[in-house]
Amino acid sequence: MTLKKLKLRHYLNYMVIGTVTAVLAGMVLTGYKFDNSLLFLLEKIAISIILAVSLSLVVGFLGELSLGHAGFMCVGAYLGGKIAALLVPTLGNGPLTFLIALLAGGGAAAVCGIIIGIPALRLRGDYLAIVTLAFGEIVKSLFQNSSDETFGGSLGLNTPRYDKNYLFIFAFVLVLLTLMVVQNLMRSKHGRAITAIRDNEIAARATGTNVTKYKLLAFTLSAAFAGIAGVLYSYSNYTVQSMKFGYNYSIEILVMVVLGGMGSINGSIIAAALITFLNTKLATILTGDLAVLQNLFYALILIAIVIYNNAPALKGFRDKYNLSAFADKIRKSRNDPGHVKDDKAKWDVVPTKIEMNEILSVDLTPQDSSVTWEKGGPK
Amino acid sequence: MEIILSTLINGLSLGGIYAMIALGYTMVYGIAKMLNFAHGDIIMIGGYVIFVTMATGNPLIAIAVAVVACVILGVTIEKIAYKPLRGASPLAVLITAIGVSYLLQSLAQIIFGSAPKMVTVYDFGTIKLLGATVQISALVTLAVTVVVMVVLTLFIKYTRLGRAMIAVSEDRGAAQLMGIDVNGIITITFAIGSALAALAGLFYLLKAPSVSSTLGAMPGIKAFTAAVIGGIGSIPGAMLGGILLGMVESISYKITAIAPYTDAIEFSILIVILLVRPNGFLGKKRREKV
Amino acid sequence: MRFTKMIALTLVAVLCLGLFAGCGASGSKGYTANNTEYVIGVSGPLTGGAAMYGQAVVNSAQIAVDEINAAGGLNGIKFKLVATDDMHDATKISTNYSSLLEGGMQLSLGTVTTAPGLEFKNLSADDNVFFLTPSASGDDIPTNPNGYQMCFADGNQGKVAAEFVNANFSGQTIGAFYKADEAYSKGIYDQFKANLDSSVTVVETSFTDANATDFATQIDTLKDCGFIFMPTYYTPASLFMTQAKDIVAADAVYYGCDGFDGIDNIEGFDITTIPQSVTMLSHFNSKADSGVAKEFIDKYVSKYGKETLNQFGASAYDCVYALYGAMKAAIDAGTEIPVDISASDLCDILKAQFEGGYTFENGVTGDKITWEKTGYVNKSAIQYVIKEAN
Repeated sequence: MTLKKLKLRHYLNYMVIGTVTAVLAGMVLTGYKFDNSLLFLLEKIAISIILAVSLSLVVGFLGELSLGHAGFMCVGAYLGGKIAALLVPTLGNGPLTFLIALLAGGGAAAVCGIIIGIPALRLRGDYLAIVTLAFGEIVKSLFQNSSDETFGGSLGLNTPRYDKNYLFIFAFVLVLLTLMVVQNLMRSKHGRAITAIRDNEIAARATGTNVTKYKLLAFTLSAAFAGIAGVLYSYSNYTVQSMKFGYNYSIEILVMVVLGGMGSINGSIIAAALITFLNTKLATILTGDLAVLQNLFYALILIAIVIYNNAPALKGFRDKYNLSAFADKIRKSRNDPGHVKDDKAKWDVVPTKIEMNEILSVDLTPQDSSVTWEKGGPK
Repeated sequence: MEIILSTLINGLSLGGIYAMIALGYTMVYGIAKMLNFAHGDIIMIGGYVIFVTMATGNPLIAIAVAVVACVILGVTIEKIAYKPLRGASPLAVLITAIGVSYLLQSLAQIIFGSAPKMVTVYDFGTIKLLGATVQISALVTLAVTVVVMVVLTLFIKYTRLGRAMIAVSEDRGAAQLMGIDVNGIITITFAIGSALAALAGLFYLLKAPSVSSTLGAMPGIKAFTAAVIGGIGSIPGAMLGGILLGMVESISYKITAIAPYTDAIEFSILIVILLVRPNGFLGKKRREKV
Repeated sequence: MRFTKMIALTLVAVLCLGLFAGCGASGSKGYTANNTEYVIGVSGPLTGGAAMYGQAVVNSAQIAVDEINAAGGLNGIKFKLVATDDMHDATKISTNYSSLLEGGMQLSLGTVTTAPGLEFKNLSADDNVFFLTPSASGDDIPTNPNGYQMCFADGNQGKVAAEFVNANFSGQTIGAFYKADEAYSKGIYDQFKANLDSSVTVVETSFTDANATDFATQIDTLKDCGFIFMPTYYTPASLFMTQAKDIVAADAVYYGCDGFDGIDNIEGFDITTIPQSVTMLSHFNSKADSGVAKEFIDKYVSKYGKETLNQFGASAYDCVYALYGAMKAAIDAGTEIPVDISASDLCDILKAQFEGGYTFENGVTGDKITWEKTGYVNKSAIQYVIKEAN
């Protein structure tokens, strides 16, 4: 595989999302009117994607569980919405106000991310999950009980809604921005450092990785994008009511990340879009107490996926029957001698010397003599 | 004086319930090394079982059935959802536990509907105590919690099984080498924790005769807070943390200006404790090993 | 790796296609073009903790629609009621509203509860869709020109309650129990407090968690009060009463607003075991034994049982008749209302009627009901004793 191809592959998800956005935007700008339901759905999908991708940074790549993602979103929604409400009379409800609101909401959420990131440096695993959960509940409670003049209190904050015909365009531009930042980060040496912390924190520390810095970085960035999703939410609704941003919403985002495969950005995107789409569609189909069936399925899927992916007893089964093994098989049958085994760090134990030799001695000999070898390796 | 007394008793009885739930959390955390997020929802199931069995009209039968049902449920969850993940990353276990919690809530909602069910288990009435009117059920709750705590402490200190539990919590591998059935011990821990949850469900119904699918969610999280404050893994710690949290909640509701922020105050205490003293008041210090 | 990615991208593509296939993208706004009946839309909690209110509204509105249709409709054109479930959650409204609108909704009963209504009122204002809500009582609900209320606004309820207290408890201490983080409860309480005489002292206590069941501390605070104002929904109120029955004085009065409605019908809660007196402020007496109210009660109970009979339903029944009456008045005045009239055109016609002093006669929840230009209703409140002290 050449370097050029590799790059194209990395940009495919931008291209797909970008093309869809551009086509829809083009239609809107030439005067075509979409149904409200489609516009609202697109806005919701964009918000979910940003949330899922940003949470995936902490859960999938850093390997810490955050149960307060909705709390960061709440901060962004309230502060961004408030700033927008204050600015609209002077600056108008245009892109400039939107930009300022985004910066304010994202920034405020990032500050909260730093505040929560500090305990993250001391705590691990379960305790950290509980701290983030507590944070989410505190934020919700503070906004819920704010006075009517500041953040609207129990009635919720009235926010300016952006023209619904155009908001989804901005929303998807923000999705692309999120993807760009997160993907580029994860492909850089900083990203390697973050996954190294996930795989073995002590080893990462021993090899000189600045664990403190990278944990804080991941937390802050994740919170900032949750804040941006919050601002987007405030722009796609007339009121921001803090009840929405509870623990259940955080779990819903977590389901998207887990369903998409932890540590897979494309997986998160697809899962976020799919779940949001299904939620919206099912809401009009499943009525009455049947609506809970939806939650039941999510719970079952969550449990099944996590057990399947993590149970030590199923390891042999997984290695034999997963998607990439299947892909490998197909590739082998196509006689692709240039294929190098993908060596993602997914060892459950540190390999012994013998295993190490196995891994390093990737078989590069051609299986079919008809493949011609030239100078410098296979073509 | 009267106000202080009644606030104290309300705080203590609420604290008693939190302590009861926290005991379950702390034992499971200490021995299975996992945060059983679904623990709060076992309380809720216990509440529903009492609601259903109260059709017999006999509270004692209802309580017995609820305890047995919760023990079976707790052990089943452990076998199906948690056991396959023994040895997997803590993150995976935690997410599964959240999934189980979600599953129990939605199941309850599908079976019983989303409107709360009202059920009166037993009306103890009230008594006058130094001028304050006190619910007798509050005193019963407190008394039972203290008895349970003492029994559990003695059980763990002086029986073979109890000491095996300590051994498993200290070093699972070494315990196994010494011939202790680690899986068996973990199952027993879950059984005890679930039985305590059933009792907590009963106390909730004695306090307020209503059960809904979210009954256990908030108390579960608060009781975990209590367990952390007291020091996770420590039985007297769970008691101490539960009582402290109950008192804070009761006092906070008494003060009009801060009453709406009660939950926020309790969670802030949790964050501060974790920052300043991550091992709680009575917990042991642990060092992470490679 | 490339192969997995291909699969992923195919999925994305399929999903994008699904978006279009699922929703379609009609170019025009002619959603009502294929209507064969006038379509009334409503969004309410059909499940969840507030389900009793949503079901009452939908059932009662259906009774009214059926009656009108049985009598030949409006100049031969029948009505159709379409209800969606919002579980008392504002975030469900954008979906519900657009599915109603795209399903041909021409006029609306808005939402059943206040929090979702705050979203609904703006969405409907954008498209100019008329709504007359039976029970979303928030003060902000009818602020747009297209929105009207059949129930009393929260502020009004708080004010009426305060006047009652001023007249009867001057110079005394009363208690108040409300949910601090709920628009309905806090809204009424704030207005109540603002209109109270300075001579009346209030001991107030609140709660926040939606699942709160234990009110021992709050009861302890209020135990010496002879009059307790409770602007909450019936579930926490019933729990409060059960836990307080031996603690609060037996001759005390619990005074609630329309959220109390239905408290005497809760399964598992027997209001007769409460020694204290329970009174509510309402526009409908569910124990009425004469007049239109009685007729409505009989019809409702025979069809849906008495579990969900409450003033939300009565109000919804009136809403449908009020809308019918306003449309009839417009037609009588020479305006044409074709069956496929767009929501916006019908909204203008109805706005003109309601602003022009339209009077709704002989309703279940009041006679000679008129509306302010602000959308608030003008009718008299009934103070209705649900249960006397034992």
